[in-house]
Amino acid sequence: MTIVGHVPLVASTHIKGPHIDWLALSPIVVLTIGALVVLLVGLLGSSAARRRVVPALTLLTLGLSIGFEVARFKHDNSIISGALQVDDLALVLDLIFSSAAIAAVLLSWRGRAPEEAGHGEYHSLLLFSVLGMAILVSSTNLVTLFLGFELLSIPLYVLCASEARREGSLESGLKYLVIGSVGSATLAYGLALIYGATGSMDYTVIAATVSKGGLLGGVLTDPMLLTGIALVIVGFAFKASVAPFHQWTPDVYEGAPTPITAFMATATKAAAIGIFLRFFDVAAIGAQNQWAPWLAALAAFTIIVGNVGALGQSSLKRMLAYSGVGQAGYMLSGVVVGTQLGIQATVFYLAAYLLINLAAFAVIVARQRESADGDDISALAGLGARNPGLAWAMTIAMLALAGIPGTVGFIGKFYLIRALVAGSYTWLGIAIVIGSMISLGYYLRVVATIWMRRAPEIPVDRTPGLVLTPTGPLPAIAGGSPEADAELGPGFDGEHGGADALEAGQMAQPEVAIVALVCAVATVFFGILPQPLFHLVSHAGSAITGLF
Amino acid sequence: MATTTFAWIVLLCPLVGTILIGGSFKVLKGRTAGVIGTAVIGLAFAFAIATLISLLGHGPQQRELTSSVWDYARTLNIDARMSILVDPLSVFMMLVVTGVSMLIHLYSVAYMASDRGYTRFFAYLNFFVFSMLLLVLAANFILLIAGWAFVGAASYMLISFWYRRTTATKAGLKAFVINVVGDVGLVLGTFFIFGHTGTVDFVKTFHTVPHVFVRDSPDLVAGAMFLLVGAFAKSAQVPLHTWLPDAMEGPTPVSALIHAATMVTAGVYIIARMHVIFELAPAAADVGAIIGGATLLIAASIGLVVTDLKRVIAYSTMSQIGYMVMAVSVGAYSAGLYHLMTHAFFKALLFMAAGSVISAMGGVQSLDRMGGFRKAMPFTFGAFLIGGLALCGLPPFSGWLSKDDIIGFLDHRGGGFLILGVVGYVGTLMTAIYTFRMIFRTFFGEPVPEARELQEGHLHHVDVPVNPANGEVEELDVGFPGPEHHIAERAMPMKVAMSGLALLAIVGGVAQVPGVDHALSSFLDTTFADSTIIRDEHSTSAAWIGLIIGAAIALAGIGIAYRVWVVAPGTSAKLIERFAPIHKFLINKWYFDEAIDFLIVRPTLWFGRFGNTAIERVLVAGVITGGTVSIVRACGALVRRAQTGFLRYYAAAVLAGITLTALYFLITSS
Amino acid sequence: MSLSILIWLPLVVALVGTALPRAWVGRWNALGAVVTLGIAISFLARFSTGRAGLQFVTDKVWISELGIHYKLGLDGLNVLLVVLTALLFSVSFAWSARREWDRPQLFYFHLGLAESAVLGAFCAQDLALFVTLFDLMLIPFYFLTGMWGSGDRVRATTKLVIYTLVGSFLMLVAAIATGVLASDQHGTPLTFVFSALRALPLSHTSQEWIFLCFALAFLVKMPLVPFHGWLPDAYKSMPTPAVAVFSGVLSKVAAYGFLRVVLTLFPYASVHYQTLILLISLVSIIYATALAFTTNDTRLVVAYSSVAQLGFITLGIFSLRPTGSQGALLQMVNHGLVTAPLFFIVAALASRAGGSEDLREMGGIAFRAPMLASLFLIVGLATLAIPGTSNFVGEFLILLGVFQSKLAVSVIAFLGVIGAAYYALRLYIRSMHNRVGPSVQSREVEPRELIGIVPLVAVILALALFPRFGLERSERTVQATVAPAQLLAGSHPAAQALRDARLNGFFLAASSERGRP
Repeated sequence: MTIVGHVPLVASTHIKGPHIDWLALSPIVVLTIGALVVLLVGLLGSSAARRRVVPALTLLTLGLSIGFEVARFKHDNSIISGALQVDDLALVLDLIFSSAAIAAVLLSWRGRAPEEAGHGEYHSLLLFSVLGMAILVSSTNLVTLFLGFELLSIPLYVLCASEARREGSLESGLKYLVIGSVGSATLAYGLALIYGATGSMDYTVIAATVSKGGLLGGVLTDPMLLTGIALVIVGFAFKASVAPFHQWTPDVYEGAPTPITAFMATATKAAAIGIFLRFFDVAAIGAQNQWAPWLAALAAFTIIVGNVGALGQSSLKRMLAYSGVGQAGYMLSGVVVGTQLGIQATVFYLAAYLLINLAAFAVIVARQRESADGDDISALAGLGARNPGLAWAMTIAMLALAGIPGTVGFIGKFYLIRALVAGSYTWLGIAIVIGSMISLGYYLRVVATIWMRRAPEIPVDRTPGLVLTPTGPLPAIAGGSPEADAELGPGFDGEHGGADALEAGQMAQPEVAIVALVCAVATVFFGILPQPLFHLVSHAGSAITGLF
Repeated sequence: MATTTFAWIVLLCPLVGTILIGGSFKVLKGRTAGVIGTAVIGLAFAFAIATLISLLGHGPQQRELTSSVWDYARTLNIDARMSILVDPLSVFMMLVVTGVSMLIHLYSVAYMASDRGYTRFFAYLNFFVFSMLLLVLAANFILLIAGWAFVGAASYMLISFWYRRTTATKAGLKAFVINVVGDVGLVLGTFFIFGHTGTVDFVKTFHTVPHVFVRDSPDLVAGAMFLLVGAFAKSAQVPLHTWLPDAMEGPTPVSALIHAATMVTAGVYIIARMHVIFELAPAAADVGAIIGGATLLIAASIGLVVTDLKRVIAYSTMSQIGYMVMAVSVGAYSAGLYHLMTHAFFKALLFMAAGSVISAMGGVQSLDRMGGFRKAMPFTFGAFLIGGLALCGLPPFSGWLSKDDIIGFLDHRGGGFLILGVVGYVGTLMTAIYTFRMIFRTFFGEPVPEARELQEGHLHHVDVPVNPANGEVEELDVGFPGPEHHIAERAMPMKVAMSGLALLAIVGGVAQVPGVDHALSSFLDTTFADSTIIRDEHSTSAAWIGLIIGAAIALAGIGIAYRVWVVAPGTSAKLIERFAPIHKFLINKWYFDEAIDFLIVRPTLWFGRFGNTAIERVLVAGVITGGTVSIVRACGALVRRAQTGFLRYYAAAVLAGITLTALYFLITSS
Repeated sequence: MSLSILIWLPLVVALVGTALPRAWVGRWNALGAVVTLGIAISFLARFSTGRAGLQFVTDKVWISELGIHYKLGLDGLNVLLVVLTALLFSVSFAWSARREWDRPQLFYFHLGLAESAVLGAFCAQDLALFVTLFDLMLIPFYFLTGMWGSGDRVRATTKLVIYTLVGSFLMLVAAIATGVLASDQHGTPLTFVFSALRALPLSHTSQEWIFLCFALAFLVKMPLVPFHGWLPDAYKSMPTPAVAVFSGVLSKVAAYGFLRVVLTLFPYASVHYQTLILLISLVSIIYATALAFTTNDTRLVVAYSSVAQLGFITLGIFSLRPTGSQGALLQMVNHGLVTAPLFFIVAALASRAGGSEDLREMGGIAFRAPMLASLFLIVGLATLAIPGTSNFVGEFLILLGVFQSKLAVSVIAFLGVIGAAYYALRLYIRSMHNRVGPSVQSREVEPRELIGIVPLVAVILALALFPRFGLERSERTVQATVAPAQLLAGSHPAAQALRDARLNGFFLAASSERGRP
């Protein structure tokens, strides 16, 4: 609009809206159309059709979007007059979102969530969320930024609550909604301040102002702009679950349906980190010497909090939530250095993180459906003997998260630390490895449970400790205190699982096993031959120019 | 064949024997092992003689031959080759070692006949001879130390040969550890000397030392001192002597061979071998002489009161080696080595005789239980008597000439050395007393039941053998030499071996008789040609005066012994109660064991236990590991406690976060 | 034939093995290990002794973006260690093949993975590759201990892994920093290849902290006091073949790292921290010896003796003298050769003492087992480095090196030599000799036990006669390795002049250190 407003004379001769490069926009367009179609197909009568067709269509949509994304590599152009910038960074991130979504669809193929929420709604919401992420990471304009931000969040609020009959799910949705909106509000306020300070929505203009401010005396002194940046950091930090804005994460992750948790853990995190890169390495790069130290501090704090928090968690999803917090710290440190190397390392780590986490969550989904213990760590006991495939998948995932050589996790850490040292942030690199040392404490616990503990002969008795009086002061999801988890473990998603489900075996759900194994194999493969991934992220790095 | 080739063969014979016996221990029956063992040593002895002859073929100046077969551990600037040095000294030692060993092997063939470990015994014994030969033939420090340690190992194996005896294993461990202290001494000594000479080869070293060191230069003295530590540990000199009496736990032939005739004299050998170094470091040499003198007296004094037959001889050995160490330290090389040789003869003889007696006693070693064996065991008595007289130094026995050769040299050097000479004479007196104390208490007086039984033609046999040291009942699979014992009177091999040694003990002295001949000293002259100490043979008359004094003193000693233990048997008891404190002091061996135990052993073990119980648990597991873990855990608990699940708390955290962030930016900007 | 075959063969064999029926898998893997040994020996045979440089080099770019090369090569430092690794592993495989294991395929897979990783770590000529394999080789032992171990195995193995990785992760940062800073300070493209890094000396300040990280990693791995907290539990609960190779080879990788990485890349820091490391080694020698005196757990006696031995090895390396390092290198081989059979012997003893590994349960085992007794005696005497064995030559060189650089240290270190005599013989006497233990069933050693002992004893005896075999290959390389540090320590002819030259170089480097403004 602003553009049109600016050129009335031209407009008088031939009026036309901003030129739109539909081809460049194709991934986004595909996702939009797909989401709508899926929603409509979801109205079909036969439940069988819904069960099969809807997910199939979703997969198709995501497949197409991936196709277009790959096709659009290397023509980096801004579209809709600088509102969006579908460059390689955006495209690589889009790939991550779409893959995560595909995994989510596969994991929820037989899940309860789609059943309860309705397949159409469930899947289209998923697609809308992916769309939101795509817009977010390619935004070069405060408005599109906020648009994407909300478009990605709102569907997730619903999806978290999609297992509507389970308090856990509902509560998780609610919590996410409340806290998410606080985050959005903060962000909105921050954006407003920035607009007020710079008088523009456009990154390039903002960047210019910032660096101008940065030039005089090297420091930016405009308190309004600074407060704006501060609030933006906080807003992003919410989504990336950076401490101390992480506290919603364990509760929401644990409550949400596992496929959605997997999606959030990978895609949402990627989106949040992506926008961090986009905003701070483009718009605010001029003031790097001011925000970098603070981000570094946040990163270090996050690493410690996340990793120590994960210790002694007996719910796998909670454990992975905390570990996700820690990992967010690692990735944030890639943002801090504000170099192309940093961007590449971060994106690389995001890709690695996607593979590893999907493997882990796939195994959790499988176990939740097979065993009575839900996502409790005891559900993995003796898995090595009973189901080597899943056991290896989980083992590899855990070792990769810990950064053991031979896995892509190791390469990712190596790359990050290399970027940090080059950016003279070596101490942050040391923080990362200290985090990894702590993380061994809980990752190895999982591995040990898988291989070195016998499976419990008799299924754990279902303590009805979960039944809650509405007035009860205790939240449905108790805090991370182990004893609470303990009483939570057995009863949790008690409806299915149980001894009968033990017979089901993983053959009942090939798609889950496939996700797990494919990701695990990829984790090891890229751990030994990371070259392809490097090529991928090198695009992303070079996308943002004007950096070292 | 070249001289050195003979020497190599000498070295190889016992090794082959070891491998042969050890390798085929399953098939060897009866006394075969003993026969093989003795045969190879006999062969070695023959080749030793061959070496001697072919060495004498060379001119006096060409009698220092080295032969190297391969680069043993040559690297960087260290020239350690697998090489032997054949010169009069090593040939002399070679002859003594192989000769005496041969006889003792022969003795053992019968003595150990009924021991279950017969084969093992001869494998060990051959291994010992090999090690001893390696020691005396080595042409560089590394090989010397190797031989040095091997004899230590062999000595350990043979001391704890009856390994079911806890006393035996303890004694073996003690002997080995003290010997390792000696090895360490040698190594350090080597380091000090190598640091300047840059070679470990003997010949090179001895040629370089005078050029790179000034007289009494600190490093040289340090090196020499450390070499002395090695010598003392091996030759049981004060204060590293405590292992030798305990070593008597081993079978008697072992005591005869290793702990009397050969191994314990290695210290004397090394001082003689390193004489170039010691003459440049008189300070160290004097220490050697003084320690030698001290040991001489201390050991003799203990020998006066000990009641265990073998231990008396052991202390006598210590004191005799004191003479030798004294001698070689002050420069009386040929005299010292001369005494080494004669001592090997008569001391081995004494042990053999003692062994025979102990067999007759059915394993009992205490003098208090013995007596009156003169008629029962005439041959043993004779042998013992000859050995004793030689030990006391009565004409014409070998000990007389050799010991007084040393004392004479001391007197001749005069000055402070006169004191050592006097010490030597005091020693002579004590020697005579304790020697004949043994003889009188064993062979004279009322025959004990065992002796009577033997006179009736039946060898005493104990039904339940007990360990004489601690009264523990023996386990017969691995215990005191088998169910039945053997005495010289009845076992031909023992008789032959003992008569051979007896002969040598009598006539061994002819090697060197003042005014008559000095075959030995002139033979050894090549080795000690570069000695700077006065070497003009002191006048014959003086020598003879010394000899006569020595003999007189020895006679006096025997007289005293006769008075105390034969004429008036009660006297010793009286003396004991008269001088109770002194007796207590002596019977406790001057409290050396207690002191070492208190100062070294206990603190070490205490430290070890403290480490295991306290440091490991508290510091390592507790603080270092546990501390870190608990800190991390505490942080985890903190984070989880913050995770209440209540939104209001989350909101608070968020608010705090926002404020901090904003504040940071505002503060840093201004 | 390239080194890659040697390195990866065990892993391939193990992978194939996972597909075999449990009856065959043991023999199959043993065969594979022996073939690996054969290949290793063929390399040793073709190794040309006189040269100092690398031989049989394989150099491919692994990750170009990070400048990491897949570079392998043999020189004097690692050729014997590679053969030792292959030997010990094949012995362990053979020993295991004669026994029943739960889930054997998995067991041998982990063992094979371990062998590949260790061989790789020894052959790696690229810092990043070295670090990668150094960390990787630990993981199989996590599973081996946790799944086939005894006692409180899960706790023990977790402790082991976390302890060692704490060091290794710091080393990872240090390694990356080495490459990055080197390229920054000299304006060259990023590389981790040793030979290249050697030409790019780091500034003093960087060297100091980087050195500490590497040292920590290596000291924990060895381990030396006070970083040995993981050792007792881990050694006690590891299955015998695993513990044999772990103490026989893995600890050596750390010591080797000091020679290969630290001395050559951080010479200044090596000199700067020489005293510190010497003291740590000295404390380890004395303290571990004292522990070995008094513990009644046979395995722990061996374990602590290895700690003391590694103390000697480190002592030799940080004497910063060729003699010392030469001795250390020889001693690594020797120690590997004695410690592995000791663990197999301990297993044999335990099987005769009613399964107990406690000295108090043993005694009098020698009686019906003369062969076992003799083998044990030989190994025991070699352990205490009795002169005449190659172990003594190693110790002699080590202590000579220390003697030349720090006299007092070496004199104190000799206490460890004396102590070794005591605890080694104590172990022998209290297990084989003395009165028969309560539940002891003495019987002659069986073939399946001899597999673990005899081959190694044969090598021990051979080396005792020809220690030069272990020395001649490394002379040149060792001199080249120690030279830089020796120069800085000033204990080298013409050191002064060169030192000045270096310092100037360092100042230049230091000024350009800050990297980008």
